Amino acid sequence: MAVYVLKKGDLEKFLLFLGKQGELIAPVKKDEVRFEPLKDPTDLYLDEQTYIPAKQYFFPQEQVLFTFQDDMIIPVVAPIKKRIFFGLRRCDLAAIQHQDIAFGEHNDPHYKKLRKSTILIGYQCTKKLHHWCFCGSMDLPDFYDLMFFEQEHHYQIDVGSAQGETLLKKSKLCRKTVVRISKEQKIVPDTNLLQRKDLGKHYSSKAWDSLVKKCISCAACTTLCPTCYCHEIKDDVPVSLKEVQRKRTWSSCQLKEFSGVAGNYTFRESRSSRFKHRIFHQLQYFREKHGVDLCVGCGRCIKHCPPRIDFIKVINKL
Amino acid sequence: MKQLLSKADPYRPFKIEILERRQEVKDTFTLKLDVPLKHDPGQFVQLSIPGIGECPISISSYSSSFLELTIHEIGMVTNTLSKLKKGDTIFVRGPYGKGYPMKETKGKNLVLIGGGCGVAPLKGVVSYLDKHRHDYGTIDLFFGYRSPEHILFKDEMPTWKELYKLNVSVDKAPTGGCYTGNVGFITQLLEKSQLSPQRNAAMLCGPPVMMKFCIDILQKKGFHEDQIYISAERLMYCAFGECCHCMIKGKFTCLDGPVFRYDQIKEDLNEEH
Ligand SMILES: Cc1cc2nc3c(=O)[nH]c(=O)nc-3n(C[C@H](O)[C@H](O)[C@H](O)COP(=O)(O)OP(=O)(O)OC[C@H]3O[C@@H](n4cnc5c(N)ncnc54)[C@H](O)[C@@H]3O)c2cc1C
Ligand code: SF4
Ligand code: SF4
Repeated sequence: MAVYVLKKGDLEKFLLFLGKQGELIAPVKKDEVRFEPLKDPTDLYLDEQTYIPAKQYFFPQEQVLFTFQDDMIIPVVAPIKKRIFFGLRRCDLAAIQHQDIAFGEHNDPHYKKLRKSTILIGYQCTKKLHHWCFCGSMDLPDFYDLMFFEQEHHYQIDVGSAQGETLLKKSKLCRKTVVRISKEQKIVPDTNLLQRKDLGKHYSSKAWDSLVKKCISCAACTTLCPTCYCHEIKDDVPVSLKEVQRKRTWSSCQLKEFSGVAGNYTFRESRSSRFKHRIFHQLQYFREKHGVDLCVGCGRCIKHCPPRIDFIKVINKL
Repeated sequence: MKQLLSKADPYRPFKIEILERRQEVKDTFTLKLDVPLKHDPGQFVQLSIPGIGECPISISSYSSSFLELTIHEIGMVTNTLSKLKKGDTIFVRGPYGKGYPMKETKGKNLVLIGGGCGVAPLKGVVSYLDKHRHDYGTIDLFFGYRSPEHILFKDEMPTWKELYKLNVSVDKAPTGGCYTGNVGFITQLLEKSQLSPQRNAAMLCGPPVMMKFCIDILQKKGFHEDQIYISAERLMYCAFGECCHCMIKGKFTCLDGPVFRYDQIKEDLNEEH
């Protein structure tokens, strides 16, 4: 598709323009770096990977599916405004695509509703954002409406969709160029850390034991992962007692109660079996079913793991 | 016959009236619901009470005019369900999952082995067999319970005795009680039986330990792993393969099960821990 050019000095103007087209959400640094509505373009913060991924905007930590009022089911109808995401990294974008697959398989209307009117604008990393980025091992796709490639004095913007190009034209800040984005530009140096392999045969390998033993089941990994989508359903009765809300909330396979059944019986009782389940879901089971790994190699689950369990080392040794 | 599955929202349940509530034993009851649900024996539904929650329950009937669910009181939802009575309404969605292979086993002899509440889905199979008795050979039923007080479906037992080879046993019986039946684990009856693996298929449902011992005995009698079908229980919320709680390695209990052919799940079960 076409490639456009934006002068670096025009980025603020471009962000202001985006803010007028819908709610603009981009990385900002507060207590942590996270995707937040960008009120002031100078708040844009691109020096680090966001601690919290963009997942919550499509798959919120808590979402009301519908309510019961006097035994009638009332769907939740809240108009969703158009949202424009800026500054998504290649891993963040692929994570959204993988969640599209997970929820799309069931035609999930609650996910679709939040995902529908969004524009995804990516920002290609020119160097790795932290030591454990392994996106280079994951064959991440081009999945964006627009993707920014930083050059010395300007940005090259790769168009990924018609709605992306319409936006660029409307901004009147960009000009079309004949230059094409090269394959090399799309790859972040030194991020091919993981040797991908068929893990199916290696579940019972002793290689897991020593590292995995250190897991403390804190669930930081699943909470910060941009692709983890396990959830539970709960009913909530507000104090008014007027209506019952049936809610979907995140849950973590790292916690024991994730698979407990009646009679005090827990499947995957040991921490190591739960750790392995996460890795296998991310790097084996999802691929067996959908042809693509769930994991996008963002490395958050290693960087933010308190005992810093580096499963890349284990897999490479298998 | 219909299905209670919403195209617009897979989580959306349907309001259904309770036709009858029967106490089976002290802590187990059956709800008869006003819905002719199109389903296979061994499939389950999601049952819910607004404000309390939702839980998966196997279908224990096979009828074109109503649906029966046999429920063990164990926690929030099941205890609240037990307080409902005729005329009350509940919410149901389903059916879900893969049931027992009734078509594939046509023409064969069948062994049904159930423990405790695990007899409930097998009662659905038996109701199916009542209607298709001539399609199958000999049918052996092995149902085990904790004590005489825990024996389910006593009203059905005279009919079952007539149509099938019914074996019932209780783990323990109080001395001096009026119970005159078998005492001991159901595995003992199974072991003593003259079952032959020829043209036979076994369908199991019960606590994991009980199923494990029964599978060992069946294998000693010459049954192959692909002649044995087990029903697995896992915590689940969505029941259609999205919440991921019920995964057994890469398989989903709610989609690929709850009934699995033993050779296709054995390794996964062994490795899971
Ligand atoms: C496919 C399938 C078929 C089932 N069929 C029957 C049946 O025919 N009759 C019957 O009495 N029970 C059946 N169960 C078990 C039943 O779903 C649970 O006992 C029930 O969910 C407990 O809910 P509760 O709110 O009463 O208990 P809770 O207060 O939620 O918890 C009590 C215990 O039940 C476990 N539990 C909670 N929710 C579930 C769940 N969704 N699935 C499994 N365990 C859970 C908890 O971990 C806890 O140990 C079936 C379960 C499955 C997966
Ligand atoms: S973040 Fe690390 S310690 Fe915490 S649950 Fe995940 S793997 Fe275990
Ligand atoms: S599993 Fe870890 S590396 Fe993979 S996407 Fe999730 S947080 Fe990132």
